[in-house]
Amino acid sequence: MNRSPAATRLRYFAAQNVPLLLSLGLFVAMVVLYIILFALKQSRLPGAFELLTTVNNTLSVGLAAIGQTFVVLTGGIDLSVGGIVDVTNSVAARFMQDSPVSIVFVSIGALVVGAIAGLVNGALVVYGRLQPIIVTLATLAIWEGIALLVLPQQGGSIPPVLTAVLAGTLPFPTWLPNSLIIAGLLVIGWQALRNTRFMTAVYAIGNDERAARANGISVARAKIGAYALAGTCAGAAGLYFAAANTSGDATSGTPFTLTSIAAVVLGGVSLFGGRGSAVGSLAGAFILTLLLNVLFFAGVNTQLQEFFQGLFLILAVVGSTLVRRSLQRAR
Amino acid sequence: MNLTALRDERGTLFAFAAAIALIIAGGIYRPSFVQPENLATLLLLASFIGIAAAGQTFVVLIGGIDLSVPWVLNAMAILLTTMSLGQNARAWWAVPLALGAGLGAGALNGLGIVLFDIPPVVMTLAMNGIMEGLVLGFTGGFTCAACNSYAPPAVVWVFTAKAIPGVANGQLVWGAIAVVVGVVLSMTLLGRRIYALGNNALATYLSGIDTRAVTVIVYALSGFFAAIAGFGLAAFGQQATLGMGDPFLFDSIAAVVIGGASILGGKGNYWGSVAGAIFLIVLRSVLQEYNIGEAGRSIASGVVILVALLLYGRQRTEF
Repeated sequence: MNRSPAATRLRYFAAQNVPLLLSLGLFVAMVVLYIILFALKQSRLPGAFELLTTVNNTLSVGLAAIGQTFVVLTGGIDLSVGGIVDVTNSVAARFMQDSPVSIVFVSIGALVVGAIAGLVNGALVVYGRLQPIIVTLATLAIWEGIALLVLPQQGGSIPPVLTAVLAGTLPFPTWLPNSLIIAGLLVIGWQALRNTRFMTAVYAIGNDERAARANGISVARAKIGAYALAGTCAGAAGLYFAAANTSGDATSGTPFTLTSIAAVVLGGVSLFGGRGSAVGSLAGAFILTLLLNVLFFAGVNTQLQEFFQGLFLILAVVGSTLVRRSLQRAR
Repeated sequence: MNLTALRDERGTLFAFAAAIALIIAGGIYRPSFVQPENLATLLLLASFIGIAAAGQTFVVLIGGIDLSVPWVLNAMAILLTTMSLGQNARAWWAVPLALGAGLGAGALNGLGIVLFDIPPVVMTLAMNGIMEGLVLGFTGGFTCAACNSYAPPAVVWVFTAKAIPGVANGQLVWGAIAVVVGVVLSMTLLGRRIYALGNNALATYLSGIDTRAVTVIVYALSGFFAAIAGFGLAAFGQQATLGMGDPFLFDSIAAVVIGGASILGGKGNYWGSVAGAIFLIVLRSVLQEYNIGEAGRSIASGVVILVALLLYGRQRTEF
């Protein structure tokens, strides 16, 4: 059969990115479902306010999920995400003063703390020759403890300016949430990073660590880099979460470990490593938020949230497995 | 016992030795710490972690992990108290019901993993959420009438009464479980298949063993033991509470790892997990004696796991 080169390339891209396309499809489906339910309940379409709250509620999980993506791509998993969120959330709430200098320095400090935490995870995995899942379970307990030392009581304060910048809207056009711009920048940043030697190494390690090593890739450096980036992203998530909530809480990060993994899985990133994209993970985070909104407008008892989230996660994975199997059979 | 065997038992030996050293340290600081009653209480507290860790040991030995322990445990404890309404007359069917439900939740984990290739982390994480949602949804955050029920006296007796003076029955229950699990792992066909599956899944499959069945059984056992641990905890506190299972995610895995089992599967035994559970409880209680707060205890628990891993959990270098 004759096909134009463009069509062949498109087919090739589609075949290569089935999980990503599935998760983007699921994202669109959730948006449509949300809009329909919202319109039925409220007799109007969701507007600027709904856009703002949805994106703001998603971005902290989205940041953590992007971080989780780096580690999962190497074939590992980071259970300490929640602890790192705890620490930077506490650091921001405890130390940030209402002055531009303080805001900038403490924000950078929070990211550096996250990076160091990730670096420790990575060093333990690589030089300690330990399993990621158990290393990060141990460091989770350590970061959680440190967060409690930094901020024993919930509270502290975040300067209103930072909240306005991170969780507000542009002066013009006022419907555009700053968080959506940040999400867009994250996608652009990811695409730029995607083609670097570093990310090539990360993907190669996730696909076949031995082969990567045999081909001269510095496995140690790439892996540690992946964990450090994951820590930085988790640190950013904690900072963003503090800014969006205008205060801190040393235990607020606990759900982030689970939601970041759920977002990565919904985003079509393979937990076996080497396959997936942070764009998918971000979509996965949006799917999780939209699911909660949909459940709310469907009148589901909010205490059953976790039940439906869990069920949804399993169904999504099963659905994706079945699609992949039928595609393999068709080929 | 030859040297290789001794090497494989390092975790068990280290954990027991460290627990004894900690007890001595606690006793030096405060002599009341080493009184038999206190040690018996610690052993009873350790038994809850130890029983949950029995299931986790099975799962870890085949190279899996069960993150659904917290809410399976919690759900079954609440199922027990709300179904039995604190009456022995209802306990005879409420106990098997909750045990069966635990077994069923675990089996569902296993089925999801073998039938749909769902990674164990995702499957058990989702199951944890499902159990949490069901519990919160049905109890309405403990607004239901039956939710304030006590554990049936028979169950309380099984765990906290002292049939033999100075020894809580719960310790005997744990001892019996330890013997049974030890025998199953070391002397039965199932045990040998579990180690085989953990060491090399493909080779095990190719030698004609139904690896799917073994996987489902192992996860079902984890749900079953989580339910028993939930009973024990409900009996100890008289009532089931929301969130009572949360520490067990960390503790059940920590006990297994401190006991020297490899998280990759195929290596380790239940005696190690028993030692790990005792060590964890003794560590926290000694730190409490030294007036170290929750933050310090959390950090110490994490550091201890890392130390244990660095001592005997390292993979061999490749190339």
